[in-house]
Amino acid sequence: MPVYSLEVAVVLLGLVLLMMEAFVAGKDKRFVAHTALLGLGAVLVGSFFVDRTPDASGFWSFYKADGLAMTYKAIALACTMLVIVLGLDYIPVLEKFTARVGGHGAWGEFFCLPVFICAGMMWMASASDLTSIFVSLELVTIAFYVMVTFMRRNVGSLEAGVKYLILGALSTGFLVYGFTWLFGVTGQTNLDVIAAKLNSGTVATVPAMFSFALILVALAFKIGAVPLQFWIPDVYQGAPTPITAYLSVGSKAAGFIVTTRILQVFLGSEALVHNCTAILLAVACATLLVGNLAAIPQTNFKRLLAYSSISHAGFLVLALAAGPAGAFGLAPGQIVAYYLAAYLIMTLLAFAVLVVINRTSGSDDLNAFNGLHQRSPFLAFALLVAVASLAGVPLTVGFVGKLLVFAAAVKASLWLPLGFAIIGAVAGFYYYLKVLRNMYWNAPAGGTLPAITLSGLTKATLLLLIAATVVLGVWWAPLFQLVRR
Amino acid sequence: MVKGEAMLQDYLPVLMQILIASGFAAVTLAVSVLLGKSGKRNAIKDSAYECGMLPIGDMQPRFSVKFYMVAMLFVLFDIEVVFMFPWAVTFKDLVLHSTTAFWSMAGFAFVLLVAYVYALKKGALKWND
Amino acid sequence: MITLNDYLLVSGLLFAIGLAGVVLRRNIIIIFMCLEMMLSAANLSLVAFSRFNTVNGLPDYNGQMLVFFIITVAAAEVAVGLAIIIALFRARRTVHVDDIDAMKH
Repeated sequence: MPVYSLEVAVVLLGLVLLMMEAFVAGKDKRFVAHTALLGLGAVLVGSFFVDRTPDASGFWSFYKADGLAMTYKAIALACTMLVIVLGLDYIPVLEKFTARVGGHGAWGEFFCLPVFICAGMMWMASASDLTSIFVSLELVTIAFYVMVTFMRRNVGSLEAGVKYLILGALSTGFLVYGFTWLFGVTGQTNLDVIAAKLNSGTVATVPAMFSFALILVALAFKIGAVPLQFWIPDVYQGAPTPITAYLSVGSKAAGFIVTTRILQVFLGSEALVHNCTAILLAVACATLLVGNLAAIPQTNFKRLLAYSSISHAGFLVLALAAGPAGAFGLAPGQIVAYYLAAYLIMTLLAFAVLVVINRTSGSDDLNAFNGLHQRSPFLAFALLVAVASLAGVPLTVGFVGKLLVFAAAVKASLWLPLGFAIIGAVAGFYYYLKVLRNMYWNAPAGGTLPAITLSGLTKATLLLLIAATVVLGVWWAPLFQLVRR
Repeated sequence: MVKGEAMLQDYLPVLMQILIASGFAAVTLAVSVLLGKSGKRNAIKDSAYECGMLPIGDMQPRFSVKFYMVAMLFVLFDIEVVFMFPWAVTFKDLVLHSTTAFWSMAGFAFVLLVAYVYALKKGALKWND
Repeated sequence: MITLNDYLLVSGLLFAIGLAGVVLRRNIIIIFMCLEMMLSAANLSLVAFSRFNTVNGLPDYNGQMLVFFIITVAAAEVAVGLAIIIALFRARRTVHVDDIDAMKH
């Protein structure tokens, strides 16, 4: 099987789900989610057995199937499956906010669109031409517009959707204009050919830098870095929680593979590498500062995770800016992939707990976590592991990710950005562990609340993610091998 | 005609022109906001002058959302011709080499068909309900 | 004789006007129109670049292919975007960005 059959399979799965959703009678559309899980699982397994050798056809100038692409495809598939599991837990909320007056909710598409988004993210992982990057990125973005706005009886969701729409379209404008100038100075659309052309010394540097700045602004929107980071808290707060998780992990990961590929082009050019690195480092420092300092006063857990997502983007940009040396035998792109795989595990663990809390108490506030230890020791432990890993406590998978970034920064002697990163990590300890106080020491406001019961699927998912966080934090080899493929 | 390669050096003035242009646009818009007081409006000024009936009810009639739905679907299905037209023009040459040209458009049309069936089944094109 | 620079100037103007509109206007529909104008600016300069970057005497069709994709994606974005704006209007009776304040800090 050629490697692109993975994307074809996922798109077909999406179409089948759409038809099932439309034609199968009955109000309970859970089977759509179950079919999606099975299908995506099969594709995930299949992704380890595909034939990656390119043939002579012109298709391969749009498409790349290197190890990095395969890693990101696996991240996209795993993330989509976990989001669908979270969505199953979130159905009561969806039912409430999609129902017509006196009618039933309509949330079948909530489990179809992520499959298309997944196809777009897999395509992004392989895109190696301006055209395919643009189309796949827009497939993801436009489907996300719909997903963020999905709860159409909820004003927060609608407003988040409009904010995401306006800024997303703005970033599209910047991206396209940047691509235009890149095409203008090089006359090419394939990234490898563009890289060769930029390195040949025949290209005017000013317009090339202009296009770099435009493209960087557009990608900053996708990865949640300064200067287009300010949508993140509002959109994360308003969007349905599983979609917040999806934005935070899937969309960011897909944005980072495109960023990695485009930066390779610019950082590979001797004429541009100096200025580009300086801009990137400035972006990394600003992102670290904004994300971490703004997170400290937050009292809403979803907004806290939003700022945390910004600060993680800062670490990741720092890893990309640290130059080609990398650390521990991993190239910068591989460090980013490692960090994102770790980020996927711990962030989805935190969101999985948040979905349950949100369903049972109807709130995302830190206060809603009060006394969680009494209500469900298992959930409290799951969140303990998640925030410890997000903060970067040793023996968790998040620690390894941060260690790689710090090592890369030390190797490149980036002392000032390293200082920002250390400040960020220290601030992280404070605001992540704040939630522990709520869970273990604060008593709930309204006396003792009933214990929380979990479905079998949720329990299994939580257990899997906890195990992954701890085991991969001690035993690094499997993830190393995954990103080194 | 000057070739594109030779012009690549001339981009710096263009960039400056873009900056001037953005400044111009910003200033114009700012001036129109500052100076263009849209008049102090009150109920009497807004009412019909001297003769004529006083308007009753909402000035803008509300359109059914159906109109938007059909218009949006029209735009979506209409724009696909952008791909089909160049394909149709070059099809005769392309199909001589391989059948890829045929099958790729067949796949594209299939996706459109699924979308159309979905819209139909969801009642997006129903006018009377 | 119209040169590449003339096209780029018009395209830069379109982009700048669009960007200024996005930043300054407060009506979401107008903001959305300005965003589409930015895409048109990119299309114009892409077509100009591909016209003037000739390959074997013919225009460079790679750029024009990208234009096709930008047009269709923009149409999809408009369809979804207007649907979202209408949904917001039905819920809030406003298309003014200053009224979008449900998220408190």
